[in-house]
Amino acid sequence: MNPQNRNIIIAGAAIAIFIAILAPFLASHNPDGLDKNIITLVGDGSKEKAKEIIEEKNKVAYEAPLSGYSIQGMDKSGKVIAILMGTVIMLVLGLGVSSLLKKKKWGTKGMN
Amino acid sequence: MHIGDGLIPLDQAAIYWIVALFFIALSLKWARNEMDEAKVPIFAALAAGIFAIQAMNIPIPWGTSGHMLGCVLAAIILGSPFAGVLIIALVLIVQGFLFADGGISVMGANILDMGVIASFTGYYAFKMLKGSFGMTTASFIGGWVGIVMGAEAVAIQMAIAGTFPLIQGMIWMGIYHAIIGIIGEGLITSIVVKSVMKTRPDLVASSSKVGVAA
Repeated sequence: MNPQNRNIIIAGAAIAIFIAILAPFLASHNPDGLDKNIITLVGDGSKEKAKEIIEEKNKVAYEAPLSGYSIQGMDKSGKVIAILMGTVIMLVLGLGVSSLLKKKKWGTKGMN
Repeated sequence: MHIGDGLIPLDQAAIYWIVALFFIALSLKWARNEMDEAKVPIFAALAAGIFAIQAMNIPIPWGTSGHMLGCVLAAIILGSPFAGVLIIALVLIVQGFLFADGGISVMGANILDMGVIASFTGYYAFKMLKGSFGMTTASFIGGWVGIVMGAEAVAIQMAIAGTFPLIQGMIWMGIYHAIIGIIGEGLITSIVVKSVMKTRPDLVASSSKVGVAA
């Protein structure tokens, strides 16, 4: 990777990491638009009732390890670490997938 | 607007998965043809940035919040709605399997709404408008159109699933995301496009096809 392209990665990663660290402190805890609709229209205004109704219909038993962007036993710092982990995973995944799929230019310096 | 497991019956969720996989295949084909040395770092930076920004919910009235999607931004920068589809698919896989943000059975529906429908409607709105309004304004409107259309698609799926009624769902999903579309998606999409155009216009694939960039 030439220095110019490397700089894009570094700048992009820096911005993403900056957002990831701020997110747990700045993000609103209110339900998002869809959840709000579910609370009002499915649970008649009750979050617990809506949750119960949906849980009953849910047939997927999968448990995500960092559910809700949090780490068990940790507070805000756990959220920062979880979102940072996700950001780094996305960076590596994005780099990996795009590198694998990119056009192979034989004989150019960028070839690896 | 991540749909969770249990909100869509499995048979309907399977159909959304099939359609989503079709678009993922097309987006992989796009990447095979268009991905080059210069686009690799942008793709990776966008993937990481979009994941991070989706964790940042912006408060809106009615005790509600929402986050930007980022797929229209990715489509404009990389010059194809398929770029948005591919990045959102990767983001949703990580969000769903690691963070329980969006369900597993309904991941196809989420990819369809936030990836395919938002990317395509937003990108083509941008493309239609950039000639007369310039890159910045067209990016703002494109971002807004993408998130609102994605939200309406969710409302329609929820109605088909029998989770909540069509009209009420469409009205409220529309209102919430019209606001998020202004203070989140539209604003951030246009600011990022404008600043990249200022510093490295060569990186914006959509700009090369227009004579004068605003």
